[in-house]
Amino acid sequence: MTENLEVRVDRREGLAVVYTEGYINNQGGEQIASTASRLMEEGYRKLLLNLEGSRIVNSIGISILIEVLERMLELDGELAFCCLTNTIQKTFHIMGLTQYADVYPDETTAVEALTPGSSE
Amino acid sequence: MADTIAVDSSADRYRRLAELLEEEGSERTIVRESLELVRSEVGARAVSAYVPGRSGYEMVGSVGRNEDPLHRDEPLSEDEVGNRVGEGFVLIHGAPDRRELSDEARLVLAAGLRLCRYRARLRDRDFDAKYRGVELEVMYDVGTAVASTLDLEELAEEILLRAVSLLDARRGALYLRDEDLFRLHRTIGGSAVEGVPVGETEEERDASPLLPGAEHVLSVPIEVDRRTRGLLVVGDKESRVGIGPFAETDRRSLEHFATQAAIALEQARLHREALEKERLEREMELASQIQRGILPASVPEIPGFDLLAWTRPARHVGGDYYDFIRLPDDRTAIVLADVSGKGVPAALLVSTVHAALRLLLERELGLAPLCELLNRHLLRFSAMNKFVTLFLGEVDPRHRQLHFVNAGHNPALVAGGAAEVDWLDATGVPLGLLPEASWEEQERDVAPGETLCIYSDGVTEATSPEEEELGSGRLAELIRRDARTLPEIRDSIQKTLREFTRGSPQGDDQTVVLLRRAD
Repeated sequence: MTENLEVRVDRREGLAVVYTEGYINNQGGEQIASTASRLMEEGYRKLLLNLEGSRIVNSIGISILIEVLERMLELDGELAFCCLTNTIQKTFHIMGLTQYADVYPDETTAVEALTPGSSE
Repeated sequence: MADTIAVDSSADRYRRLAELLEEEGSERTIVRESLELVRSEVGARAVSAYVPGRSGYEMVGSVGRNEDPLHRDEPLSEDEVGNRVGEGFVLIHGAPDRRELSDEARLVLAAGLRLCRYRARLRDRDFDAKYRGVELEVMYDVGTAVASTLDLEELAEEILLRAVSLLDARRGALYLRDEDLFRLHRTIGGSAVEGVPVGETEEERDASPLLPGAEHVLSVPIEVDRRTRGLLVVGDKESRVGIGPFAETDRRSLEHFATQAAIALEQARLHREALEKERLEREMELASQIQRGILPASVPEIPGFDLLAWTRPARHVGGDYYDFIRLPDDRTAIVLADVSGKGVPAALLVSTVHAALRLLLERELGLAPLCELLNRHLLRFSAMNKFVTLFLGEVDPRHRQLHFVNAGHNPALVAGGAAEVDWLDATGVPLGLLPEASWEEQERDVAPGETLCIYSDGVTEATSPEEEELGSGRLAELIRRDARTLPEIRDSIQKTLREFTRGSPQGDDQTVVLLRRAD
């Protein structure tokens, strides 16, 4: 597992996919938040967080993800997650994130759901 | 540097706030609109509002373009805020025209900030309550979900991931005991020392050197049956404003978690052992089936002779092997071999000997040259330190003769005739040991009533509870005395073995081949 979270963005038509690699803790969460803020400022209202490369999240990371979700909802946008480990998915469910953010098993399914009519 | 205006509240302002709340929606709307009011009143380029939160002063609203370094999403620390406390404060950026606010603006702002702060507290409490649920889930889960994997590497990673997450640690390491050393198995978030000696009382161990560079380290032992099997180490507890030490409650949480992890590790270890045992047993059973297939299904008819064989492996698959091969002119080859070792490797060697012997006997080379070829074959293809003792006889019913070579096998015995007991000693060394070895073929007439007994050392070395061996003398006496039918002699040998060993474990395969001249 890498020491610091690595974040990569794939900007698509009407949707930005954010890929993470590593621990979603305070530092990792802030990286995701600043990336998300930048994308929101760029006008993206649909963000997909692909957490395939992250097997661990702590309470600080979750609180930051909740803030990102709140900011996106304020903009009438949509935040979704895909490729979660069972543990992270269970944690998101208990923390209530899944009430406001959809979770998809894989990226293809998520992209199809978030941008209906467009192909990968 | 930006200016600030402190915001306070009073009872009558709260009453008016209630009216506004009925008209307006969320606290963020109130704050945003009130900030617009402030910005227009003071003529600032941007304003943002902050309220004290759990991890510092959190921005709850902002209007205009603000480039102040304090204008950011992360909470502000006490040091950054200085004396701008109260219900909250407003950060004004960009040369305001005036610094006084109207009562209405102050009221709305104060109410909004108060509501924000109240909502933030509720949200924090809600978050904490839910996260307790996550912690309980982690504790509960570790004994089941973690144990669902039998791969130690996967298990170690899962335990460490959950421990680090549970404690909000920035770093972590898992050590598993390897005799007198705790060996590093997994790390997260940074390096850890590779190994630490066992011996110190784990509760008193200074854990800080385990995670170089970490400011705060917490370590707890992983114990099974009061024996320390590993160490679970976490470093630097995170908050929104940085890192800090772990609390006593964190230690207790980690200890509880380590107890669950220990059970999971132990269950996985036992499960793996059981699976491995099952796999070996299946393998042995398969090899046993193969070897049973090698043994002759029935004994051949040899004119003027009776023939019988009996074998009892010490384990599923043994190193003993016998065979009968039809040769031209009514001759029959009799084989009894004992390969070194037991189990699957021995069975494989038996297979090799079996196939090679059948092929070589077809070539009618003579018994001694056959042994030389077989010896070379074994030296070339069998594993190091593997050898075979072999008694290979050829019964010629027309001449009532037995030709044989004895390659390092126990002396076969002939009894029941005129002579007391005749021992057919080794005529060469075991096969598979020496490349230049040679063997001598001998022949012997078989007189009426004589019984040839070829046996493996598992028979004569059968041990009593007093650790006395049965010995070849007792076997010979039994053959000589019980000169009845071959099945009766076999039954007598089996009964003697049972009575002699009296339930002691069978240490080696037991095989007997009996040949008697009938007329």
